[in-house]
Amino acid sequence: MVRLMSAPTYQEMIASLERYWADEGCVLMQPYHTEVGAGTFNPATFLRCLGPEPWKTAYVEPSIRPTDGRYADNPFRFQQFFQYQVVLKPSPDDVLDRYFASLEAVGIDLQKHDVRLVEDDWEGPTLGAWGLGWEIWVDGMEVTQFTYFQQLGGLELDLIPAEISYGLERLAMFLQNKRSAFELEWAPGFTWGDVYRENERQWSIYNFEEAPVDALMRRFADHEAECRALVERSLSLPAYDQVLKCSHAFNLLDARGAISVTERASYIGRVRNLARAVAELYLESLAEPAV
Amino acid sequence: MPSLLFEIGCEELPASACREAEAQLRERWLTTIGGEQGDVFVGPRRIALLVTEVPERTPDEWLQGPPEHLREKAAEGFARKQSVSVDDLEVREGFLGLVVPGRPIEEAVPEQLEAIVRGLAFGKSMAWERGGLRFSRPIRWLCAKLDKKTIELEVAGIRSGHLTFGHRFTGGEVEVPRADDYAETLRAAGVEPEQEERRRLILEGLDEIGGWRDPAGVIDEVVYLVESPAVLAGSFDERFLELPQRVVETAMQSHQRYFPLEGARFAFVANGGDPATVIAGNERVLEGRLGDAHFSFERDVAKGIEALAEELDSITFVAGAGSFADKAARLQELVGELGGGEASREAARLAKADQAAELVREFPDLEGHIGAEYARLAGFPEAVCSAIEEQYLPDSADGPLPHTEPGRVLATAERIDNLTVAFALSQRPTGSRDPSGLRRAAIGLCRLAVEGGLAINVAQLVQRDLALLVEQQAEVTDDPSDVADFVLERLEGLLNAPVEFVRAARAGAVTELGAVAQLAEALTAQASTEEFEHAYVAFDRSNRLAGKADGAAGTLDSSLATDEAELALIETLGQASPRIEAAVAERDFPGAIAAAAELGPPVDRFFDEVLVMTEDSSVRANRLRLLLDVRDAVGALGDLSQIPR
Repeated sequence: MVRLMSAPTYQEMIASLERYWADEGCVLMQPYHTEVGAGTFNPATFLRCLGPEPWKTAYVEPSIRPTDGRYADNPFRFQQFFQYQVVLKPSPDDVLDRYFASLEAVGIDLQKHDVRLVEDDWEGPTLGAWGLGWEIWVDGMEVTQFTYFQQLGGLELDLIPAEISYGLERLAMFLQNKRSAFELEWAPGFTWGDVYRENERQWSIYNFEEAPVDALMRRFADHEAECRALVERSLSLPAYDQVLKCSHAFNLLDARGAISVTERASYIGRVRNLARAVAELYLESLAEPAV
Repeated sequence: MPSLLFEIGCEELPASACREAEAQLRERWLTTIGGEQGDVFVGPRRIALLVTEVPERTPDEWLQGPPEHLREKAAEGFARKQSVSVDDLEVREGFLGLVVPGRPIEEAVPEQLEAIVRGLAFGKSMAWERGGLRFSRPIRWLCAKLDKKTIELEVAGIRSGHLTFGHRFTGGEVEVPRADDYAETLRAAGVEPEQEERRRLILEGLDEIGGWRDPAGVIDEVVYLVESPAVLAGSFDERFLELPQRVVETAMQSHQRYFPLEGARFAFVANGGDPATVIAGNERVLEGRLGDAHFSFERDVAKGIEALAEELDSITFVAGAGSFADKAARLQELVGELGGGEASREAARLAKADQAAELVREFPDLEGHIGAEYARLAGFPEAVCSAIEEQYLPDSADGPLPHTEPGRVLATAERIDNLTVAFALSQRPTGSRDPSGLRRAAIGLCRLAVEGGLAINVAQLVQRDLALLVEQQAEVTDDPSDVADFVLERLEGLLNAPVEFVRAARAGAVTELGAVAQLAEALTAQASTEEFEHAYVAFDRSNRLAGKADGAAGTLDSSLATDEAELALIETLGQASPRIEAAVAERDFPGAIAAAAELGPPVDRFFDEVLVMTEDSSVRANRLRLLLDVRDAVGALGDLSQIPR
């Protein structure tokens, strides 16, 4: 691979990661079509990490987090940003070395920088999921979250996967030496701000001011009911989309300030119960030969 | 005697796991391998022990078999099982058995080392293969050397060898030639394996830079975050110094583990890299975090604390108990009830304003501090600002109390309201479940009364707060009156008085928290005096007889008294009772005990000479009433029957 002499653009950086992980044998997936808060929610991670089959994948995932929007006023907070998600199931013994090589692939000289693994245990309460791992710092900047999953959907795992989630904006800010994501060079002549500033502004208005609370509450209940019905029909994949839709409706309600502290726990519990039911069904379907 | 090195090579361990391993390793080797001298090395990528003077053989062991009197029945079987003949068995302390000779250490060591790996316990552990060994983080190599010899063992699929690994990016794989060379081998590969040496190097580096602070105590963690410590210093834009100091310090310490320096500078500990590059990167990160905080700060300050306070009606305090505006209104009433002045009331009005601040959303632990800072910027008197700042104190069982009177008043109101709301909404703590820290809040109240000297009548304040909640149409589902008992129970563990004395005092005529505490301590201090004994007897004898009997008269009628002892008791009671009452009211508890003591001898005489349960029902009823009056007069000092004699 050609070593980039100057800092890579945002899209070159993504292309380097794609190439690197493709060479590592990953299935390159595309972003999922339903809103997710993190790449973990993509069925290519959540469902594929269940069961005994090995799996390797890598993909860009837009992370939609309504409460993190700041109307494009804040250079560090966005209601939508991008992760690069890598899953290696099972995790190879040299998984960390492979990850560090990916940093070299985007142009980070590991000898010149202070690269550190700082304890960060991950928990996804709506998915009934947890794992142990690290934040990975380069000169104090957190550029990746690394997690060895231990449970998903409340279930023990047959093979322990390693999940590597790069924060693409942070990684690019580091590489391009920028203090604001809006200033990142996305492609020659186009900044991240050119591409997404207006998007941030409008969606922040929607998330905080316009998202219809009553309708969202109804939708949450509808998706929940649909999920249950689909589980009854043994359709785990469509049922899982309903989990994601519930989760997104919950996130929007949260951004609208429509959920009190006590209700919060109950909403999270409802999503978790669905995720668990779908995970169990998915596992059962793996055990049975396809019809 | 040989030296034994054993290194467990790991992916980066959390600092807490390092400390856990450090605490367990010495004990582990003493109980498995033996040998007194040695060192434990713990760092992010390795847990190691080096035992010098390892015994060459494991000790002989006595293997106990059946009791000697069962020789005929059981000796043969036991011997066969151990592959020896019956003649080889010895007798010790009435049992047959066998001395199993120790083994050469080389033979024994692999299993001992495996036991050490498997025996280390971590608060949080993980598997990296299904059903595999659980450890803090994955183990990736094992290095085991007995002097020059490599010891072979296998744990969880990992085979030991003679190799270790130096600094992750510059050190690479290195051979450990002899156990004793371990530390020097690693130093040559860019790793300082000794934690205390790393600490010394870090402190030395910080001292060279000078003027460093570590209010959050991150150094104990940093020692275990690096293998190759390099202390570096950086700076940031001075405009961030207008942020509240606690915000700047928290931005540095809580996530990044930096050390604040004088002015707009900071120190940090790197684990390698080119210093100029690493400094520039860390400066950018800190400026990013401070920029984020500053962005919120400017927006908050542009609004001002009054405008923030006005936003509180849209922020829920607790579902069912209204908004933070409702809470602020209750706090203002409660500080008035507590005798707080203008500063307390103003502080109560603004106490929760920072809940609407963006900066508090980013630094939730700094609630109170941020509000105080915004009040200062708005020009409020320092008494108001410091009360806002101190409202959450004490924040731990032995943490400091607020320094100012308005601070103590507001902190008291804050706790009363939290407790009342939780109890009124049926959210009492149960068993070990106390998610909102209500026990801690109750202990805080006790300390504010006992150490802070504030008069706190919990029952009265709770009633006032409940009335306010009802006025505000809170969804009250429960009577919170038992908050008072809940708080008083906390006194039991706090005072210099046995539990029984505190329980006794809680039943006395005083209800104010500090007074209950004083009474309990006074009872304890006097417990072995003659006066106390008299007061106790007066209470106890009258209570035992009359406390459970039916049919006491409603009021005492002196004209029904005929007996001399009875008349004497009535007279003494008439004198002592008001004196006890007055002394208790003035919190002169020794005086009250002295007055109560006067009732002892006449009570004793009364019981010697007078028959209470006489035939004449009106006389009997009157005598029972007399005893109840005695008990109640002394009972101003508490339920003395709680105190064991």
